[in-house]
Amino acid sequence: MTAGLDNLKHIVVLMMENRSFDHMLGGLSLVTDNGAKKYPKINGLTGNESNPDTAGKVIKVQPNAKFQSQLDPDPDHHFPGVDLQIFGGAPPGPGRIPTMQGFVKDYFTQTKDMNRSHNIMSYFTPDKLPVLSTLATEFAVFNGWFSSIPGPTICNRAFAHYGTSFGQVGMDVFYVLDPIPSIYERMIQAGHTAKIYYYDQQSSTMEIVNLLKNQPEIFASYSQFIADCEVGTLPEYSFIEPCYNDHPGPGGGEILASDQHPDHNVQEGEKFIARVYNAIRTNPILWESTLLLIVYDEHGGIYDHVPPPICTPDGYSAKPSDTETGEAFNFDRLGVRVPAVLVSPYIPMGTVVPGTENVANGRVFEHACIPATVTNFFLKGDAKRTVREKKADAFLDFLSDQKRPDADVPYFKLGGK
Amino acid sequence: MATPSKVVHVPDPEPGAYNPNRLAGKLLQSQALHLREALIKHMTELAAVISVDPRSLKTEGDFGNYAKKATAILHTHAAVSSGR
Repeated sequence: MTAGLDNLKHIVVLMMENRSFDHMLGGLSLVTDNGAKKYPKINGLTGNESNPDTAGKVIKVQPNAKFQSQLDPDPDHHFPGVDLQIFGGAPPGPGRIPTMQGFVKDYFTQTKDMNRSHNIMSYFTPDKLPVLSTLATEFAVFNGWFSSIPGPTICNRAFAHYGTSFGQVGMDVFYVLDPIPSIYERMIQAGHTAKIYYYDQQSSTMEIVNLLKNQPEIFASYSQFIADCEVGTLPEYSFIEPCYNDHPGPGGGEILASDQHPDHNVQEGEKFIARVYNAIRTNPILWESTLLLIVYDEHGGIYDHVPPPICTPDGYSAKPSDTETGEAFNFDRLGVRVPAVLVSPYIPMGTVVPGTENVANGRVFEHACIPATVTNFFLKGDAKRTVREKKADAFLDFLSDQKRPDADVPYFKLGGK
Repeated sequence: MATPSKVVHVPDPEPGAYNPNRLAGKLLQSQALHLREALIKHMTELAAVISVDPRSLKTEGDFGNYAKKATAILHTHAAVSSGR
């Protein structure tokens, strides 16, 4: 066991919304230093990745992503749309190859505008995202963290809480009928502590109805998270939700959505990530005993070049009428790749976790890895869970023996231009 | 915390980014449906407690059962309104 693991007392997960890896972090691969790639291990963009548009024109990735007003209407990320994005329109059936060639075509079905459909190939240069880019290069970034399902928010978030979506691939209200307890139930029943922190009551929670309905005691607000960080009362496991809508604040102020879901402002999301990081970072005891994972629930319909791999099924099947592709889905393939960054003072600077690009040593992560890691660490694996979760990789082995000095790790100063 | 040497500046969004009049997308519409489903359970609980005529309670056990249900509902509301 390393010193980092010995000191670990808290795992915190911040789950953002609807951005792909290449869109947010792919530009890191194009950064050079004295003519050489500065981050050669990151599996980002070469600049030559492309998709055909509906006229057959080749549209390359473009470093022109905007903070807001570019991906409106909201790109399709429901099951049939993502199927088109991944398989390029090849009809369902055995032997299909995930070419990642259908993103522009799919966005055209919404925009009905050729030029606007090209926006789906946009990506941010690292200077535009100082928080996520800094954390990715200062700590650990995953080349192969995928959403759990090629589909939308609710079912993907369910994997982060239960290690399964109980056969769901959409956004419908559903009830948990099988005896797979949530990670919060598992922790609390075993005498441990766990919480979901939603931003505020106007933003509320995006987690599945079962949790909110039956377990109100596991919920608290973001302001409580900040207070818990300050006084050292953070639970052993925390899941943080950003703000999901623009709304007036107390006393008439303006509160912006910070989830980064298109078309919400990406810079506000950067500030939110920075605040969560700073809250942990500024309490020295918490800082050295906490592992922070920043991850996105799904890609939001935005281009990524890495084909999602096959995976261990979770024992459920979605009917053709639910997938809307004419074919059942057996939860045997992951969704599109998303940004995932792991933060701790015990993580060596510049850690890159290899993914599917590394045939020999690559590792595949998805949201079922979250309850798997928490269960393995706090509960020694003792819980009823799906085969999918049991086989999911854990993300604890990146904690080293060496704690980095405070002056060596970043601090974010918020505000201004 | 020691003075950090790596201070990263995080800019504010442009003025005008705030737009509470933006049309809500499918995600927020789904969220409202989920919240409504969650509320139905509380309505059912509330209706069950309200429908009991306190004068019909005879034993201490009856009163204890009634008080437990009422207190659980009131406590949840109190916890939310006090920001807990």
